[in-house]
Amino acid sequence: MIPSYDDLTPGIPDVVDAETVKRLEIFFYRQLPSPPRGLIDPTAPAEPRQPPAPPLDLGSSPQLYACVACQRPTTDRQPQTADRQPETANRQPQTADRGPQTLLAIARDFSPRIMRVGEGEVLLDVGGLGRLIGDPPAIARELRRAIADAEADAAVAIAPTQTMARLLAAEGHDYPIERFAEIPVARLQPLETLPAAMNHRDRARPYLTLEKWGIATLGDLAALPAADLSSRLGRRGVALQRLARGLDPRPFVPDAETPRYIGRLELEWPIEQLEPLSFVLARLLEPLAIALERADRGAAAIHLALRLTDRTSHARVLQLPAAMRDPRVLRTLLLLDLEARPPSPLCGFGGTEAAVAAIDVVEIELDPAPARITQFSLLQRALPSPETLSTLTARLSALVGESRVGSATLLDSHAPDAFDLRRYAPEADAAAPVGATGAKGASGAMGAGATGAAPAGATGATGAMGATGAMGATGAMGATGAMGATGATGAAGALVLRRQRVPPAIRVSVEHGRPVHLASSRRGMPSGAVIKAAGPWRSSGGWWTTQTELPPKGGSHTSSEHAWNRDEWDVALKNGVVCRIYQDRTTERWFLEGMYD
Amino acid sequence: MRAALESLLRAKKLDVTLTATPGALAPPPDRLAPTGSPELDAALGGGLRRGHLSEITGVPSSGRSTLAVDAIAAATDRGEAAALVDTCDTFDPASAADRGVTLSRLLWVRESGDAPRALKAFSLILQAGGFGLVLLDLADVSPVALRRFPWTTWMRIARIVEGSDTAALLVGGERIARSAGGVTIALEPTPGAWQGTTHRARVFTGVVPAPRVVTRA
Repeated sequence: MIPSYDDLTPGIPDVVDAETVKRLEIFFYRQLPSPPRGLIDPTAPAEPRQPPAPPLDLGSSPQLYACVACQRPTTDRQPQTADRQPETANRQPQTADRGPQTLLAIARDFSPRIMRVGEGEVLLDVGGLGRLIGDPPAIARELRRAIADAEADAAVAIAPTQTMARLLAAEGHDYPIERFAEIPVARLQPLETLPAAMNHRDRARPYLTLEKWGIATLGDLAALPAADLSSRLGRRGVALQRLARGLDPRPFVPDAETPRYIGRLELEWPIEQLEPLSFVLARLLEPLAIALERADRGAAAIHLALRLTDRTSHARVLQLPAAMRDPRVLRTLLLLDLEARPPSPLCGFGGTEAAVAAIDVVEIELDPAPARITQFSLLQRALPSPETLSTLTARLSALVGESRVGSATLLDSHAPDAFDLRRYAPEADAAAPVGATGAKGASGAMGAGATGAAPAGATGATGAMGATGAMGATGAMGATGAMGATGATGAAGALVLRRQRVPPAIRVSVEHGRPVHLASSRRGMPSGAVIKAAGPWRSSGGWWTTQTELPPKGGSHTSSEHAWNRDEWDVALKNGVVCRIYQDRTTERWFLEGMYD
Repeated sequence: MRAALESLLRAKKLDVTLTATPGALAPPPDRLAPTGSPELDAALGGGLRRGHLSEITGVPSSGRSTLAVDAIAAATDRGEAAALVDTCDTFDPASAADRGVTLSRLLWVRESGDAPRALKAFSLILQAGGFGLVLLDLADVSPVALRRFPWTTWMRIARIVEGSDTAALLVGGERIARSAGGVTIALEPTPGAWQGTTHRARVFTGVVPAPRVVTRA
């Protein structure tokens, strides 16, 4: 009794349909040479050589697979491919990174059933493309054209089985299927599924044995009697022969497409107010959140599309600071965003005017991202969660304005009050060891203190010198002097200024070159006799810009872009208030910069 | 007997209305938020009490902002998140950074003088939770505007922060409000520290706060 493959390799299922197996048997029987004489039975006479095999009719094949494989520089290919090697090697760095992704995109364009089988190697089920594109050569041409358009370098092969397609594609561009039997046996190595722990010697052992036997090509291996091969090389030998005969070791399992999380609702009655819309949003978001949870995903961004009754549409994209899937949080963020940016100015969102464009279609799409893993510390208090911070920031932005909530970042500038507001994200900073930041601040302040501590007298001299010195030098030295005044005593005693963001104009009486009295017309502003004064600290900069000094009004401060040229004074008033004032040297007007507190 | 009762109430988280008396049980260290000023912390028994509303009061240039910034610096240095509702937009980030504040851990809400809106922002932050210290700077708000707030407002704020890990702090010119377990830190007017004799050689080296714990509950 001749054992079958099922008996010899029970672990490998027979995944190729019977008709394809029969066709392949005919193909190999007509094509393959006889087994080497004397290997199996030295006394047996050699069989006469079979006539040349007819071409394999791919068009009538019930199964058809295409393999698209990135081309890599090879050293052991046939001579004709070696000629192209320098060109391929030159192209490799450009396409190496984007190649696999490009191939995936191309494959998805051609077939919904694709399977990634290796790095830069994609299998497509092209069995149903005959009516759309044409016969297999036409499909291959279209694939090659798409690859060329994408400026990628990949070989395309179409065959009735996955294994054949992969082996043909590995042989390079336009390798004919009729020469399948001439492919070296060593090409099977990447297709084998072996235990990860198997060492290199064991992996190479059957190939060395086959080489000793004189089995060099797939045709040679396919022609060997399976039972005898099994008795000598075991199951692995039979598995190799199956591969050599083009049989698939495992079924084609299409990659699951990246699922899209979309919810859409067409409303019977258009919505004009936020409150009813919140129920619609909840109805859409809750199933999406459940789907995300099942897939262990969170939403990285929310795409909201509203279609209005006037046939216009309103689209918003909310980028979330972290992957989240709490439907209440997502709904709140959407509502707050809609409150700040209503779909239509006249729409009734939060207003009393009649609605002219209500909403009749709501669509939400969530961009999935890997779910967040949070590790709390036993030694450190937990920071607010990203969900909490997102909601809080959105609420605060709706209350006071988007540009007035965040964390301050000092700008690298000598300009007064140079800072920027950024999104508040304490978690991004949480990795820093506690205490290091304090030390950093201390060292920074110490540096500033050292500058100013040097010498108050010298700083005064700077001010005097600045009056006659060059503009650039005045700016630089004056700025240093001002910083020294601020950080005179280092971190422990650094001054805290209550800054007037829009410095109010004040009236200052000057005697003997120093202020002696302050007066202001505004209520609550400090005024009175000056009992102590220190200065002037000359500060100037930004003179290379064309704009004159403009007090910043809200939002991010970019005062470094404006020119300033001033003499600053620290003055103590009779009523105990210590404030910083300055005289603009361009207009000679006095302003109150802030009060020390 | 009183100690046993207080311990029982704390265990049930019903201790918010307890008033402190000499010899009473001090709150555990993890329920205190040090202010960054060793002398003041010693006077407060370790720091501001979490879950309570406290206040810093004083005239301009008495060191109110210095104490507040030091408390923020201490909180951010401990790795906590802090928030400042700046009612009149007078916070100076450069000064705060010089005092050791980690600005990236400070949520700064800049209001342009609207005290009710600032109060709403303050209450939103307290409701969100997760912050170690939340400040509401009302120092430049006129007393008249502050008195317009109904007294229930502050009760509501105290109720929000009650039992949480957040120390809520008000900064004002005069006493505003505090919860039963909160403290009032009053700052006396002090002359600033100066170095040098003539105005060209003189340097103002800073305000020296003179805090006094007026009431400690």
